[in-house]
Amino acid sequence: MFGYLQVNRDELKIKDYRLYKSVYCGLCKQMGKDYGIGARMTLSYDCTVLALLYMSLNSESCTVVRKRCIVNPLKKCEFCNCEGEALRFAGAVSVIMSYNKIEDTIKDSKAWKKLAARAVKMFFGRNYRKAARAYPKAAALTERMMRKQTAAENDRSDIDTAAEPTAGLISELCTMLYPKGYNTHVAGIFGYYVGRWIYLMDAADDLEKDIKSGAFNPFKAHYNGNMNETMRYCNEVLNMTAAQITMAYDLLDVGSYKSILDNIIYDGIPERQRNCLFDKHNKRTAEARENGSI
Amino acid sequence: MNDPYRTIGVSRNADEDEIKRTYRKLVKKYHPDRYQNSSLANEATEKMKEINRAYDAIMKEKHEQATYIRDDYVYDKRSEDSKDENTYEDGEVSVYQQVRLLIKKFAFTEAENILGKIPPTERLAEWYYLMGLISYNRGRLEDANNYIETAYSMDSSNAEYYSTYTSIKNQRSGTGKHTSGYGCGDCCGFCGC
Repeated sequence: MFGYLQVNRDELKIKDYRLYKSVYCGLCKQMGKDYGIGARMTLSYDCTVLALLYMSLNSESCTVVRKRCIVNPLKKCEFCNCEGEALRFAGAVSVIMSYNKIEDTIKDSKAWKKLAARAVKMFFGRNYRKAARAYPKAAALTERMMRKQTAAENDRSDIDTAAEPTAGLISELCTMLYPKGYNTHVAGIFGYYVGRWIYLMDAADDLEKDIKSGAFNPFKAHYNGNMNETMRYCNEVLNMTAAQITMAYDLLDVGSYKSILDNIIYDGIPERQRNCLFDKHNKRTAEARENGSI
Repeated sequence: MNDPYRTIGVSRNADEDEIKRTYRKLVKKYHPDRYQNSSLANEATEKMKEINRAYDAIMKEKHEQATYIRDDYVYDKRSEDSKDENTYEDGEVSVYQQVRLLIKKFAFTEAENILGKIPPTERLAEWYYLMGLISYNRGRLEDANNYIETAYSMDSSNAEYYSTYTSIKNQRSGTGKHTSGYGCGDCCGFCGC
């Protein structure tokens, strides 16, 4: 995943921020335990949200301990320690997704970059097989999604079709958060729109780059030469998707961590849209103008 | 039954004003209008019923008497009882009515097949509207937006099309309540800001 789903720090209570960080650090630690130190590099905010959601929907209880950070031993951090599956599942998903993403990079890139990606892939191969053994369904779903994604991009699809593979995958993953026999209709719909939002955020964020490089981007057909106008259009598409996310989210039985999850859905999503679609772009134009005038 | 105070989200010693305020917020959040045409409509109705039951229970407890009447400002009881809009008079059921029934039953592929058989020259505003509803329920939001826009532009006097069109525009502007998203300041004309 891409790390678009995040908290809005400004709006979060300090105690919730500490708890959120402890889950992030706890997940990092769990991944170190399960897959070794290299796998920690694949850790993303999206998977932290997945872990939070898992804990919340299953009312898993956690303890927080203070220990030294492994990545930066000078720092002491709070780690969330979880009895249940949440961290293990989120860690496995992170490894599975990253591995598949590397495979995608190998297909897309040339020469040296391809070689480098191959080396990384070999490095992660063992981790991937371990994660896939633990969660075969998640691995099979991700592989299938990647194939569908390639097909959709070869077809030069429209926005809805291009977003469908990722949306479908996150939808399936969200239904897996519940124990067997539970009604997962709402979770499935929630996941569908979260996946759609993540995919389209990534697409909008990459639009400028993809126009230059000629790579596939579902928003390209809507680009009329004015990047600001196009970004406003992307924002509308994302807003409608976000509205669907909140509708489903409000119907989920969110228990613990509600204030953090509320923050991510209600404040984090708009903040990311503003940041990626408008602030970043404005900054780039301002820089370009400055460089041009000097 | 769950603890009614938890369902509403207030503490046991909250006063009546606070309970009413919170209740009204919840009613807006789970109002059928917000979930209009969504495949989550049933879940939202269930949630609303649960909230109403909890609110009634709390108010009963607070008043310690049975003769209290729920504040009817917010929620139209009508929509709570599942009404069947599809009781047509005897006689012919039009293609579009047939499609509407199928959409209600979440039989989208079947509904789409029937619509697909109508030749392009005979497609009325309703054709585009129903295609919009199917796309909306399938998560194909851009298709939904285009179809509903077409339906509305073909027949802008139709209240149903107008209502769906407005609700979509509100979602896209990101400025409506309970929508999340980012409103970029170029006002939409629908949100009243």
